[in-house]
Formats: sequence, structure tokens, C-alpha cells
Amino acid sequence: MPERADFWGIPHTWGPPEIYAYTLMGLATLVLLFRFYRRVSLWWQVGRPEMRWDQLQVRLGRLIRYAIVQTRVLRQEYPGVMHAGLAWGFFVFFLGTALATIHSHFFEFLRGNIYLLYKFVLDTFTIFFIVGAALAAYRRFVQRPRRLTLQNRFTWSLVLVVGIVAGGLLVESLRLAVERPEWALWTPAGWLVAQAWIATGASDATLTNWHLGAWILHLLTVVLLFVTLPATTLLHLFTGPLNAFFSKLDRPMGQLAPIAETSQSEPVYVSTLRDLTWKQLLDSDACTECGRCQDACPAFAAGTPLSPKELIVGLRDALGRDGPALVNGNGKAPALVGETIADAVLWSCTTCGACVRECPVLIEHVDTIVDMRRHLVIEGQVDTELQDALANLGRYGNSFGKSGRARARWSRKIKPKIKDARKEPVEHLWFVGDYASYSPTVTDITQMTAEVFRKAGLDFGIMYDAERHSGNDVRRVGEEGLFEMLVEENTAALSKCSYEAIVTTDPHTYNALKHEYPAEVNGTRPVLHYAELLDQMIASGQLKFSKKLGYKVTYHDPCYLGRYNGVYDAPRRVIEATGCELVEMPRHSDRAFCCGAGGGRIWMDEGEIEERPSEARIREAVDLDGVTAFVVACPKDVTMYQDAVKTTGHEARLVVKDLIELVHEAM
Amino acid sequence: MNIVVPVKLVPDLVEELEIDESGAALDTTWMRLMVNEFDDHAVEQAILLKERGGGQVTILAPDAEDVDDVLFTAAAKGADRLIKITGPFEEQVNNHALARSLAAVVEELQPDLVLTGVQAHNDLDGPVGPLLAEYLGMPYVGYVSGVTASDGNVVAQKEYPGGLLAEMEVALPAVLGIQAAEEPPRYVAFSRVRQAMKSADISEQAVAELDLSGSPTVGRMFQPEAGERATMIEGDEDEVATRLVEIFKDAGVL
Repeated sequence: MPERADFWGIPHTWGPPEIYAYTLMGLATLVLLFRFYRRVSLWWQVGRPEMRWDQLQVRLGRLIRYAIVQTRVLRQEYPGVMHAGLAWGFFVFFLGTALATIHSHFFEFLRGNIYLLYKFVLDTFTIFFIVGAALAAYRRFVQRPRRLTLQNRFTWSLVLVVGIVAGGLLVESLRLAVERPEWALWTPAGWLVAQAWIATGASDATLTNWHLGAWILHLLTVVLLFVTLPATTLLHLFTGPLNAFFSKLDRPMGQLAPIAETSQSEPVYVSTLRDLTWKQLLDSDACTECGRCQDACPAFAAGTPLSPKELIVGLRDALGRDGPALVNGNGKAPALVGETIADAVLWSCTTCGACVRECPVLIEHVDTIVDMRRHLVIEGQVDTELQDALANLGRYGNSFGKSGRARARWSRKIKPKIKDARKEPVEHLWFVGDYASYSPTVTDITQMTAEVFRKAGLDFGIMYDAERHSGNDVRRVGEEGLFEMLVEENTAALSKCSYEAIVTTDPHTYNALKHEYPAEVNGTRPVLHYAELLDQMIASGQLKFSKKLGYKVTYHDPCYLGRYNGVYDAPRRVIEATGCELVEMPRHSDRAFCCGAGGGRIWMDEGEIEERPSEARIREAVDLDGVTAFVVACPKDVTMYQDAVKTTGHEARLVVKDLIELVHEAM
Repeated sequence: MNIVVPVKLVPDLVEELEIDESGAALDTTWMRLMVNEFDDHAVEQAILLKERGGGQVTILAPDAEDVDDVLFTAAAKGADRLIKITGPFEEQVNNHALARSLAAVVEELQPDLVLTGVQAHNDLDGPVGPLLAEYLGMPYVGYVSGVTASDGNVVAQKEYPGGLLAEMEVALPAVLGIQAAEEPPRYVAFSRVRQAMKSADISEQAVAELDLSGSPTVGRMFQPEAGERATMIEGDEDEVATRLVEIFKDAGVL
């Protein structure tokens, strides 16, 4: 019967191999733990406290999902398979070694079919690992994608892990070459390599000597791995899972945390390492530099100074450089914002959340960026265009610098007058939003929306001049005080109205009202995006269409509707109900590419850029065969993409249509 | 250096302006006031001088709706003292009267330098700066876009039309009319203003009576009116030119 042999072929000349092998490994583990502790203790010694210990079972679930199954890693085919081969291989080898130890010292079970299965699984993962390693080498040395950090420390890690697995394979194959068991086919990889040894015609004694050499080499490389791990790129083996475990659970993606306060109730504006929380520092140590964030980032694609990867790596380097001195109490924390991280980097972010959505280890880039922006705002370091917009928002409640009394001017033409929700009860309170109210390119669409609502028999009203900007992007710019004021004003106005649900056409407004307003606004009454409302009205039969439009269209997911709030299907169902054929762009749903306007970018000087995100997006749509309309569901998108269609010269080819235009036409 | 910055609030042109029943003044019922833009630059210039060379900045403002916000905003930027001048300012007040009331308060403060906006869009009887300088007996330089302080005097950068710049040494105390601060007025976060509301004090100084003399009387105030004689001329270049000549001849200018 096949059975596992402990320390096969290892001479007892230096005493039992268990003793020195385990002593060596034990010491290596101690070194590993010590070095690891030295590194990670910086998180809480430098960073501020933050509560991330609750809901342990949910956290454990995330650990399994993101660190073991690695669903995020697998979202991309090539790097997904590559990483799964390496990572799962290592899990299995680690598990296999642990089982072997249990077998040797506690409970003998690796015999017979169980042993064969054990060998077969380990061997299969060896093959899988080799595939992963080959893919990794090809990617690093041949493909060399821009998003990767092409440095020797990554090569070193790859060499080390390949060396360990190769060593294991060597040991196994040499043993098989000597023993030549009849079940050898259960270890296909090992048996294949063993053929090479057999072919050399070397004697059993020679092969056993080689085996000893390979075994020592294997042991030493494992020791080397343990001892160096905390200083290598393999640190993510620990920090990645930890980051998934400690990822935020207390709020949805669309809700930012208010400004933290010190124990003396002083607000914390993040300008140094000391102002970050331990979790934000853990974020930086968890980064694997895979560059998926950078690939997805519209600011990076546009050629702005922001790369979410470099931002996080910058934090990590700062922690490594300045952290130990801070812990030893050597002086003041050096400036982080403005030094390690330039202002322009922070202002480039559109807060589209693509990086957050893509990150395999759940790094929370946007929260950290907004925290740092808050520091810039409180210090008055904002560009003049943004300053004007914020001043206008503060004074007039809109970024256009127009009178607050002119907010509902778009509705003048509509007869009979739209209900004033402040004066009479309405079923749906329509929170119109800034762009839909004031932007000359959007107001006709706003009027059309009113017409559709009315034709569909919706009982709705607006707040006229009592409405203010919702504050979504004010908050993301980092102007928390102004955001709070806008929330107070809108909440006060809403509290005087009688309504059953809020509806808005603006995803940014939708996000803020839904996640960042007090419970009296969103606690019991739904906040709906018009795509959701239209979808409901179609499903219930309240909204009926008289014709099929038959256009071939594509649909752009607004960041704050899709990625932030998961509303992907409702707008698509509405498009299909109007009889249009929907063709998806390569980047759609949660991978949709931002228009570049979010996070207050629409109010800022765009700076030096190579290609506007909106233009890149239009090019993406134009590449779709036969698509004539670019459907949007956000008032800002209407202006952004109408401009982009003109500047890219595709006016004859593509027309930007708001969702409501399709609905209106099909009615 | 002891710097005093008188600021005033002016009608916000973003809001619609209406003429009141008298037909000679703006209707104040719907009017919203905001700080005069040039005064905002004067505040910024004062803060910049303080940051560079130390000193104290005092902001003066006649009472008006929302004037507290303006004063607190200045405090959030770094002003040390806020004074609200109370009196019958709700009524139509001219710059002569305003300058006289300011002069009385400014004199007491014994400033080294008075900075004020070079003009305001509602200056019907001349800007405040020169009037104030006259009442205080101090020299005045207007259209200033930069100030450097040295011992006992300042060098003011004055802008002339056509991009010409002059540097003028002015003996202190003096009044300068600021056209633009050296840097655009800084942004103050809302929470900073809120903080200033809690920590800063506004002291009040009452002016019993206003002396309105010296100012012209407004006979009629009106919205721009469309010319009654406007005619649109249509046709090609030659036709338009011919018709134009005819019109000029008819009007007796040719």
C-alpha cells in the first residue's frame, strides 16, 4: 500500500532530520514574525485609531471571498489565471506540508487512496503553478504592460517562489526515480521529471545523493522566503487578506465619513502620516502594485499627474521612510500633502470609484484622496475656478453663479404650472439638481422630463427656489462645511414638503440624497433615479409606448448610478422597452469609464491633459458597429458628451441622447 | 503696521435689480447685498501685508444685511479686529456721508495705512477712498495693485491704462485705493467662517447722524432702454452701405 515516507533518503548523520529541519523553520518563522510585527506595528503606532473590528463573520466572509477565492483578482483573465496559479498553488503546498507534518507526528492518514489523492492534488497544483509562473514571467519580461512596476524586487519574489516549487519538484522526482512506485502516475509532474533522472542512467545511490542536495536547497529557499518575506513584495500574502478583512463595512461606497475628530474634538485634516488612520496605512502596505487601478483610472488615462497606484505607493514609501522616526518620537511628522503627494495629484481625481472597484485587495483610494482634499480646502489651496464655484454654491446654492430665484426658470413654459411641493402634497418630489435646472444645454431635456412625467400621469412637484445643490461633489471636493450647510438647507426645505418618494435625474444628487442625507430624508421614503422610476412605471403599465424606435444605441453608466449604487439594469430595461437595440461598449456596467466631470472636476481648471476622458469614451462608442446614439442618464453627461462629440468631430456619426429623449419619442 | 480696511456692501448684480417707486433709487426689498469686489481685494492685500511684516488688520463696515458674514469671513482670513458702524445706513446713503462717518472712526484707530477698494459699482458720487483721504488729511493713491511696506512709508504699485505700471513711494499714514491684491482673494472654507463666528467679536460704533452734503442728487434711475430709432438694415454689403449713407444724410450728419 502506498504510504508517505517521512524524510525519505535524509541521513541521520547529523541527528534526526526532524530536529534540525523544524528548528531551522521555527527560527525562520520567528524572524518572519518579528520583522512583520516591526513593519505592521507602524500602522497603529503612527496612524490614528479607527474601529474595524465589528461584524467578524462578515469580515471572515470577505477574507475568504477576496483573499482565498480571489474574486477580484479573477475579474481579469490573464492576470487572474496567472495569480490563481501562483497563489492557489502556494496555498495547497502550504496545506500539503501541514498535512504531512500532522501525518508524521500526530495522526497517520496519508496512506492508500488518500495518499494517492493527496499526491495527485499536490502534483496538479504544481502544474497549475508552473503555468502561472510562466504567465507571470511572460507578462513581466515580454508583455511589460505599463501598469506594472517593472523592478527587480518583483523578479526576486518570482524567482524565489519558483525556486521553492522547483526544489519541491526536484526532491519528489528524484525520490520517484529511485523508488519507481507502481502508483507513480498519480504524481504526473514528478513522474515526468523522474524520467529525465532515469534516463541519465545514474545509480540509485547517486540519485539519492542528488536528492539530498535538492532537499537541502529546498529547505534553505523556504527559510530564505520566511526570513525575507516582510521586506519583499510577498508581504501582500499577509497584508492583502488583512486589508480585505478590515475593509469598511459601516457605510456604503457612496457615503463618505465625516471629518474625524481628535479626543479634544478638534477636526483632523489629513496632511501628514499621523493624520491617517491605521487602516489607511494598512491600505498602503497591502498594495501589490498590480496597477489595475491605474488602468481603470480616467485621470491617469487623461494624462493628469494622478495614478491611484503611485498615490498609494507614495503613502507606503512615506510610512517606511518616516514611520520609524515618528514612533521613536523624533520630531514632527513631515508634510505628506504637498510634498510626497502633490496637490495636483489630489485634484485630478474624479472620484469615479473605478480604482476602488478594481482593487483586488480592497484599497479605499477615494476616501483617502477626499481626506487630503479636505486639508487643501481648509488651507484655502484651491484653484480660482473651483474657488468661484464654491463661493457661488455658498452664496446662490448653485455652481453657475446664477440667482437662486432663477432655479425653476426652466419650468416657466410648462402649463399648467408644475406643482409646488412646498405648498401641496405630491407623490413624487422631483429634486431637479443644478445642471438640469441651470445648464442651457440641459433645460430642454428637463422640460421633456416634466412632459413625460405628466403624460404618464405621475403626481409630482418641485421645490422651486427652495432647492439647493445637493452637495454630493462639494463633499468630494473636500468642502465639508459647505456640504453640511447645503444638506441643512435642503433638509429644512424638504421637511416642509409632503411627499412619498424623491426622484431625480442626476446620479450625483441621487447618491447624496440616498446615502449622505439624514434619515428624515431617506430613512423611510425611497430616493429614486428617474431610470428606476421609468422602469417601475413601464413594469406596472403606467408608462406605455406607442412605437418601437429601432435605433442601435449604446449606454453610458454614470459612475454615481452604476458603480456607486449598482443601478445597471433599470436604464437598460428602459432602453429596450423603447424598442432600441442596446450594444455595450467594451467598458460598461461597473467597468464603465468616467466622463471626467465627477468629484468636482467639472468646476476645476482641467490642467494639462492628453485626452479628455469624455473624448476617449466617445471614441470607444464610435468604434461600435452601427451605433448611432450615445444614451446617457445624467445631466452632466449630456453636456460633457455633447462637447466631446463635437471636439472629436463625430457629430455626423453619433448623437448624445438622454434616456428621457428615447422615452419621450417612443410614447 | 496698523492697517484699517473700510469695506462696504453693494447690490448683488446676479439678482434682478428693480427701481423703487420714487424712480430715483434701487428697490431694496428684493435686493441682496454682497461685499464690494475691490474691497475684498483690499482685505486680501491687508492680510498679505500682515503675513509678510506683521501688524494688525482692522475691518470696518457700515451696517447692512449680511454684514456680519462679511466681517467674519475677513476674520477667518486673518483680520484681527472687526468693527461695524451702526447708524441710519439703511436709508439712501452717499459716499460723501459714508466717508465722513468712516473718517471719524478711522481717525480714532490711528492707522498707518488705510486700504480700501478703488471703486464700487454703486459709487454715484465718486469712490470712497479719495473722499476718506481728504477728510483724514492723508495722501491718496488709487488703482493700486501691490503694496510693499518699508520704514515709515510704503511703495504702491499703480496701474495705468495700457498696461503701464508705476511705483510710488507714499509717506504714511496714507489711504490706498486697491484695484487688485497681489494675489487673488483667498478661499476660506465654510467651517473656518463658522469657527470665526464663534471666536471673533464684532464691536459696534454708532454714528448718530449722516452728513449727506456734497453729493449730486439722483433725478431718475432706470433700466437701460432700447433706442426708439433703432432700425435693422438688411441686404448685402452694398445695399447696407447705400442705406447707411442715406440715413446719415437724413440725420444731417453727412
